[in-house]
Amino acid sequence: MSRAKVISYSPWVAHFNTGACNGCDIEVLAALTPLYDPERFGVKLSPSIRHADILIVTGAVTKKAAERLKRLYEQMPRPKYVIAVGACAIDGGVFSKSYSVVAGADRVVPVDVYVPGCPPRPEAILDGIVQLVQRLRRGGVSGGSK
Amino acid sequence: MAVDKVVEIPVSLEVPIGPQHPALHEPVMLKVYAEGEEVVKVEVNTGYNHRGVEKLTEKNSFYRNIFIVSRVCGICNIVHSDVYVRAVEQVMNIEPPRRAKYLRVLAMELERIHSHMIINAIMAEVLGYDTLFMYIMRDREKVMKAKEILTGNRVLGDYLMVGGVRRDLSEVDRERIKDVLVKLEPEVRKYVRVFEEDETIGKRLRGVGVVKPRDVTLHGLVGPTARGSGINIDARREGYDAYNEVPFNIIVRGDMDSWSRMMVRWHETIESINMCKYVLENLPSDGPAVPDETKLSRKFPVGEAFARVEAPRGELTYYVMSDGRQNPFRVKIRTPSFNNIINSGFSYIGYTIADVPVILTSYDPCISCMERAIVTDLRRGERKYIRFKDLSMGLK
Amino acid sequence: MEALSELLKEYALTTYSMKPNRLVIEIPRERVKDALKAIKEKYGDTGIYVSTIVGTDFPDKKQVRLDYYLVTHPDDNVYVLRTWLPREDPRVDSILDLFPGALSGECETHDLLGVVFEGNPFIKRGFFVPTDITSKGVFPLRKDSGV
Repeated sequence: MSRAKVISYSPWVAHFNTGACNGCDIEVLAALTPLYDPERFGVKLSPSIRHADILIVTGAVTKKAAERLKRLYEQMPRPKYVIAVGACAIDGGVFSKSYSVVAGADRVVPVDVYVPGCPPRPEAILDGIVQLVQRLRRGGVSGGSK
Repeated sequence: MAVDKVVEIPVSLEVPIGPQHPALHEPVMLKVYAEGEEVVKVEVNTGYNHRGVEKLTEKNSFYRNIFIVSRVCGICNIVHSDVYVRAVEQVMNIEPPRRAKYLRVLAMELERIHSHMIINAIMAEVLGYDTLFMYIMRDREKVMKAKEILTGNRVLGDYLMVGGVRRDLSEVDRERIKDVLVKLEPEVRKYVRVFEEDETIGKRLRGVGVVKPRDVTLHGLVGPTARGSGINIDARREGYDAYNEVPFNIIVRGDMDSWSRMMVRWHETIESINMCKYVLENLPSDGPAVPDETKLSRKFPVGEAFARVEAPRGELTYYVMSDGRQNPFRVKIRTPSFNNIINSGFSYIGYTIADVPVILTSYDPCISCMERAIVTDLRRGERKYIRFKDLSMGLK
Repeated sequence: MEALSELLKEYALTTYSMKPNRLVIEIPRERVKDALKAIKEKYGDTGIYVSTIVGTDFPDKKQVRLDYYLVTHPDDNVYVLRTWLPREDPRVDSILDLFPGALSGECETHDLLGVVFEGNPFIKRGFFVPTDITSKGVFPLRKDSGV
């Protein structure tokens, strides 16, 4: 069984806030609570970045945080995937014209799933994770191993 | 060759730190200098969350800024847009109808409830009570449902307009929100009892992070941080929006420690539930709450205004200056966490490392702002980098 | 309200009101620290706090305006101490020893506008602004900064 398929049975999630308004962060946090029950998919918040399979990025990536994001991505063991949650992580959102913002997480790390919304509902975030997991089971995602 | 002398070079565990270092979440970094277990100095470094909002507001019109300004903080976005809109209304000399003012108060108090519940849940999680964290978050979902009924969205309401609010409240929705509040109140009272009676919570929170009243005003601390130390400051006393008509009590406690601050928040939650019930029962019908968007003025007079609001974290102030053009000349935002977090480096000294996350969470920093701390052990010359949750459990 | 304008009569150049009902007192920059010392003596340690410090750039007047917003306790009155600094040399005495809570406001105003608070050892560039802008020596909130 390929490595990607193995982790799809219980993907552990790490969350990084690159300068967000915290709206997406509290929805990510809410997605991990009993009402939405992420554990039925095996999803749980990982204790450390080195144990994580999926990195959830929120926030308009500020220049200071962009370097952190790159290093964080490099610290994750393969196979690794990135989900960009919220309009700000996709392309900067309302802050795209600011002097202090690198607009969009995909300018720093390769992104696999985009979840739009401002902020997206917890169900949408879980749906994004589940769609990624389904793609892994079908095969055909490189997982950062290029 | 026999070795008769060995020179030992102490190896220190260093992770490159400073403005650049690999970290998970960090709009603010606390550099904690410790001698053994005791904290001797704390430095607060900022800049990771700086998005240049004030410069951005100078490039957009007054009306578009309402949306930008809401996204300064997602947890208290309605109060941000409320104080900005009020400052603009002062400059333009507009007064919204009473119904709109009551609806604004309802939205802001719902926001206060959800914000206080989430910081208490996070405090429970930092102390190691994952179960309590899950219980409080489950009940908080009721409040998010109420916010969705009122504003159309769970978190970012985008509810305010110059001259009123964006959506009116129908009779059916009024009853639905009232049902939610009636179901919520007994749960909140249960949590108040847990925080009052549980022995472990008491041991971790009482006596930790004592801030004397004199230090509160000298350092400009605001909000429940100040009210937990006996200083009775609350911007709602000004009577903006409908706060001069809706009766409420200001909760002040004199215990000065972290427990006192969390209890101030719980009691404020109960006050807010009562205020929301009052607003729902006494909603006036004096005018249309939603202004006509096509009739909004396109001319802005020259002038300046300084508006304050009581956000869940403390006093939030906006200064808006117009020089007659379509865009503002200057917008200055001072959030409560700016004062509370940056100026509070003095209050950690003398406590143990495991107390640092507890004290920081009791000031209510914006969530997931500070997940890591750098601990420099001065005696052993080591620098390590530890997650907050591990710090608070006493792991090294 | 009247108490403060009486107290600062000898320093004040002019007084007026800002919406909605805040008293603004303009004083010259050399007397800022004396005025704040007099205020602190009158109100005591718990009677007044510094709410925020606002700097505004006026390139056509060639001045930078600095406002100190003070809030009294417990009557919640807001006072504004306003002073004008020359744009080419925006220096003023730091009030950190009187009100340690001014730390956050002074650091931010320095990083974003270039106002130098003499006596404050914590001000530095890069407090908020990213390094690619500080390396050019640009202050973002100045009107001619180009960002």
